[in-house]
Amino acid sequence: MSTLVFPSIRGRNPAWLPVLAGPVVVAALYLVGAEAAFLIGTLSDRIFAPFWPPNIVLFCALLLAPPRLWWLYLLVVFPVHVVAELGVGMPLPQNLVAFATNAGIAILNATAARYLLGPLPWFDSPRKACLYVAITAVAGPAVVALGGAFVPILGGGSVDHYWTFWAQWCLSNTVSSLALGPVALTWLDERNRPTTHISTRALVEASALAAGLFLVCAFAFESGRNVAADGLLPTLLYLPLPLILWSAIRFGAKGASGAVLVVAVALLWRALNGPSPFIAETPEASVLAIQAFLIGLSIPVLLLGAAIDETRRAERHVRTSEERMAFAAIAADVCLWHFNYRSEQFWITDHGREMFDLAPDEPITRQLVFEAIHPDDRQAARDAIRSTTLSDYVIDVEFRIVRRDGEVRWIRARARADCNSLGQKIKISGSFADITGQKATENELVQQRHDLAHLMRVSMLGELSGSIAHELTQPLTAILSNAQAARLLLAEDKPDFGEVTAAIDDIISEDNRAGEVIHHLRKMLKKGEAKFEPIDFNELIRCTLKLLNSEMARRRIKTRCELSDGLVPISGDSVQLQQVLLNLIMNAMEAMNEVSPSRRTLAIRTEALQEGRISIDISDRGVGLAPAHEEKIFQPFFTTKERGLGLGLTICSSIIKLHGGTLNLENNPQGGATATLVIPGEQSRLVS
Amino acid sequence: MSYITFLVDDDGGVLKALGRLLRAAGYDTRAFASAQRFLAEYDGNVPGCVIMDLTMPGLDGLALQQTLAETYANPPVIFLTGTGDISRSVQAMKAGAVDFLTKPVDGKQLLTAVERARLKDEAARRARRDREAFDLRMAKLTPRERQVLDHVVLGRLNKQIAATLGTVEKTIKVHRGRVMAKLEVRSVAELVRLTERVGLRPMA
Repeated sequence: MSTLVFPSIRGRNPAWLPVLAGPVVVAALYLVGAEAAFLIGTLSDRIFAPFWPPNIVLFCALLLAPPRLWWLYLLVVFPVHVVAELGVGMPLPQNLVAFATNAGIAILNATAARYLLGPLPWFDSPRKACLYVAITAVAGPAVVALGGAFVPILGGGSVDHYWTFWAQWCLSNTVSSLALGPVALTWLDERNRPTTHISTRALVEASALAAGLFLVCAFAFESGRNVAADGLLPTLLYLPLPLILWSAIRFGAKGASGAVLVVAVALLWRALNGPSPFIAETPEASVLAIQAFLIGLSIPVLLLGAAIDETRRAERHVRTSEERMAFAAIAADVCLWHFNYRSEQFWITDHGREMFDLAPDEPITRQLVFEAIHPDDRQAARDAIRSTTLSDYVIDVEFRIVRRDGEVRWIRARARADCNSLGQKIKISGSFADITGQKATENELVQQRHDLAHLMRVSMLGELSGSIAHELTQPLTAILSNAQAARLLLAEDKPDFGEVTAAIDDIISEDNRAGEVIHHLRKMLKKGEAKFEPIDFNELIRCTLKLLNSEMARRRIKTRCELSDGLVPISGDSVQLQQVLLNLIMNAMEAMNEVSPSRRTLAIRTEALQEGRISIDISDRGVGLAPAHEEKIFQPFFTTKERGLGLGLTICSSIIKLHGGTLNLENNPQGGATATLVIPGEQSRLVS
Repeated sequence: MSYITFLVDDDGGVLKALGRLLRAAGYDTRAFASAQRFLAEYDGNVPGCVIMDLTMPGLDGLALQQTLAETYANPPVIFLTGTGDISRSVQAMKAGAVDFLTKPVDGKQLLTAVERARLKDEAARRARRDREAFDLRMAKLTPRERQVLDHVVLGRLNKQIAATLGTVEKTIKVHRGRVMAKLEVRSVAELVRLTERVGLRPMA
């Protein structure tokens, strides 16, 4: 425990130092304290000091020393105590009892404080200060005074006065704990902080305050006796108060404890060495009055100092955390801002001004910020903020800003509005993060994915070249035959012009058909941007099957389509979706290579699901998925084909994800596998 | 009976255009969108040829060719293909296809092939007719006359035949006269030509 409580004190000194030097220093201080007490004044006839610093010296020593060495301190201090007390003529028996009670209170207070208060400082929070008062100024003295009260009795005092002696002993220690303890402990704590720097100005101010306070006290207490009769005594006693409060407010716990010490010393010195405002029938009663006055003054002042320290610490804490936050915000390229709807005031961190390229002292308005937003994104940002009517809702919107220097940057704004019960915004605060770099990376990723999908499309169309050539050959065949038929017809004596016209009409329509195939191919081969448009999936399926027509025939695969009439249009990129269909159908066709031609059936089914979603099933009667492969089929570069790249399903999956849908592949109970696509319809996508 | 070109192709546009071309060239044409439909309507007694796409859903070209070869008529087949599939073209030609044309097919090539098919069909039908007529006449011969016929076709003299069959030369002469009359030939040379044409194999 001791190492935890005062680590730096123990750490700073070599191990042998506290063992030898510590007790010697403490003994010296003990003697100085005792002499100081005698100097301030004792009721020498009762050998009784109303203010006894040695106890605080011993208390502090026990706090600093590890408990296993306490005996050493007590041993060294004992002769000093005996010598000092004998010096003022205290008989030995009393002397021994007095030492026992002094040691007792030091041990009791030190032990209780160690376990209940923990490490220093104790005077920077009212809670700890209260606890300190309760332990060292109330409980400790009260208990030990039970024994201490016997000292005067041993000196000849009447046993009838036991409780008076008890009160004197108790209050004497209370005053010591309140007047000297805080100063001593604060000083010890300061020693613990090597980095604390005290400015000369503060030092001068503190010294002036102490001197001023002493003078004011001396004056007040000096003239107190004269005015007591006039009833002006309370006014005089209030004289030191402004200076006490001043030092408490300026220097917190340190100032408060220092002021209390000055007042206590001044008051006791005056009271015991000359005229004093505290005049009672007996000197004991006068001392009691002084002690009561000091206790009544010091407790609130100490607590005030502690409260002020705590407030300052809280302020410092807030400031540090603000600084940390500002630092973190800058490091993360984030700025913080706040807007008050009533006062129309817009506050933004300096980093935010840099983000928008605004001068440090330029007044910022809501208008200014909105105008900095890229015109294309302005409405979206405005809508995002307008949509908020609830306090808990976090706005999260991305937009571009055009800086004064013309640079365009991407900003992600996150904000939370404070709304009243009517949904009106009172204030809104949040952050702007510069996500330009992130956007660039995202775009690059999108581009790479796009390129890869294109590459796969090209390779897939390469595989299908035979089938595609067939699709072109058919109209070309029809065109050539029609043209040659027309020539034959025209060569006749009486040409059948109706038939010639029909042939030419067919040439035109067949040519269009060939054109469509080429247009379609070009679309699939082109590396265009993804374009979202309403898509009739049934039509897309028919279109895709047409492309695969001769491939299916060649592989002797029958096709069965069950296309639902109730399909809602979905929003998507037709080229990419067709790529998915082509890929899935080609996988299905390949899966049926090994089975007998009579089993080779491809079934495509579309269905309208709830919430405006559609599902597309592509089933084959092929070999199905091997159980070991089921987990891996969507992983990049996993393939079961001899010449496959293993990217087909990966790309399909990412395309479907882009459309907000899902792609699943599983074996059918009756053999073969089914690929199931679920894609949200146009409407449900808009809502989400 | 007039000559008919049968078209089988799963592509409607191609079917229509080829039909128009063949009609313009003066052929009677029937078009079918699938092999099954064609087989359902096909009458082998009608002279004609079949022009079909090699790759069709369901029953494809090669399968249809095989089915037709097993029929009595065995009409000549012309294949059209969109893809130059060599292995299947070889298979088709081995199975007796008249031609194997690649789409888009040139009209002249197609008409030439159709004309060749027509001649082939005509020849086949004529041969079949001759054989049938010959078989009818042969049926009238007695076993003895049939024996004499075989020996005559092998170029044996009456005397030799008589010795082989254990009879006299005169009897053989009478048999020979009856054979000539029943087979409606006037000379031995004509008899030999006839038997050669129908592919009779004399049993000696």
